[in-house]
Amino acid sequence: MGTGLTLEHFLTLSALLFVIGLLGVLTRKNILIIFMSIELMLNAVNISLIAFGTSLNSMAGQIFAIFVIALAAAEAAIGLGLILVLSRTSDTVDVTSVSSMRD
Amino acid sequence: MGAATNARQGALYHQGCFQAARRNSVGGCVTGAEIVFYFLSAVAVLMAIGVVFARNPVHSALFLVITFLNVAGVFVLLGAEFLAAVQVIVYTGAILVVFLFVVMLVRPEDLGELSHSSRMQTIVSWILGLGLFGEIATVIATGVVRGQQGLITSQEVAQVGGNTQAIGRFLYSEYLLPFEIASLVLLVATIAAIVLGLPERFATPIIGRSLGTISLGHPKGSDLIHQDEALGIPAAGPIDLAQPETVDVEHAAEKQRRPGVQTVVRD
Repeated sequence: MGTGLTLEHFLTLSALLFVIGLLGVLTRKNILIIFMSIELMLNAVNISLIAFGTSLNSMAGQIFAIFVIALAAAEAAIGLGLILVLSRTSDTVDVTSVSSMRD
Repeated sequence: MGAATNARQGALYHQGCFQAARRNSVGGCVTGAEIVFYFLSAVAVLMAIGVVFARNPVHSALFLVITFLNVAGVFVLLGAEFLAAVQVIVYTGAILVVFLFVVMLVRPEDLGELSHSSRMQTIVSWILGLGLFGEIATVIATGVVRGQQGLITSQEVAQVGGNTQAIGRFLYSEYLLPFEIASLVLLVATIAAIVLGLPERFATPIIGRSLGTISLGHPKGSDLIHQDEALGIPAAGPIDLAQPETVDVEHAAEKQRRPGVQTVVRD
């Protein structure tokens, strides 16, 4: 170690962030926090993609990361709209209390 | 450059040690990029833990902002300057602002978590999470990247004018179709978000609501007339302010604010 940054450095950071996001999705019940954890996981994957792209002298990793960011934006727009409707109709953002498709 | 020449194969950075860099015990040296990387990752990971374990969703969102800014710094270290800018603009600028908007729009009494995970669920989650990290760490430690080396070296990128120019050349030639599909997905998502955000009276007229709201924002001053028209009932005359239920503005506003309270029974 100590001789420059290798691919492993970035992959380890990516894995750490991904696992933290996964723990958030699995342990929390607030749907807002779950969404933030999903964004965290998407970002961790972006780090992996860009690190692999850079290490292989390819641009494809960065292009993929752009698409991931675009789809994350679309997902956030729809997901947050759903959260608003959920809080309007069921008076909570707790995922365990939402167990039926219609009232 | 002496220390960099014996850098192990696959090092992303072949930079020489800084003259003032601290020599470590192995005989190598700590480069500036490495110090920056460790700082950025430490802050990013700590803030990510904060996102997951903070009680208050607003705190979580602010922790997430700091995480994303640090990840943008990591992107710069990887030579992806354009993506670092996109990260700051799209994630911290747009997505996180929408998150904070939603946190503000959801009524504060709804924000609390009614139930916490059961003990069993928490244990299983931690086992799954740590197990996954163990697997990934094993792969990172033992795996070998078998990829075809591409042609886009850093010299090549510098030749076309920089990272942004290089991405543009690929995005608008080789990846043009995915790019257009992504724009279509964004359009559909925008329409879906607008439809989801429509007020309920545009989606399904509420039958049998007797309370009207007197509102300065409404074109007719009250939505009572408007609703009767929507239901096919002849429009009511001018609102008689002497009627107690129409002047009870506070109560009406309360009812309006909680449409879930009035359950509409249909067969």
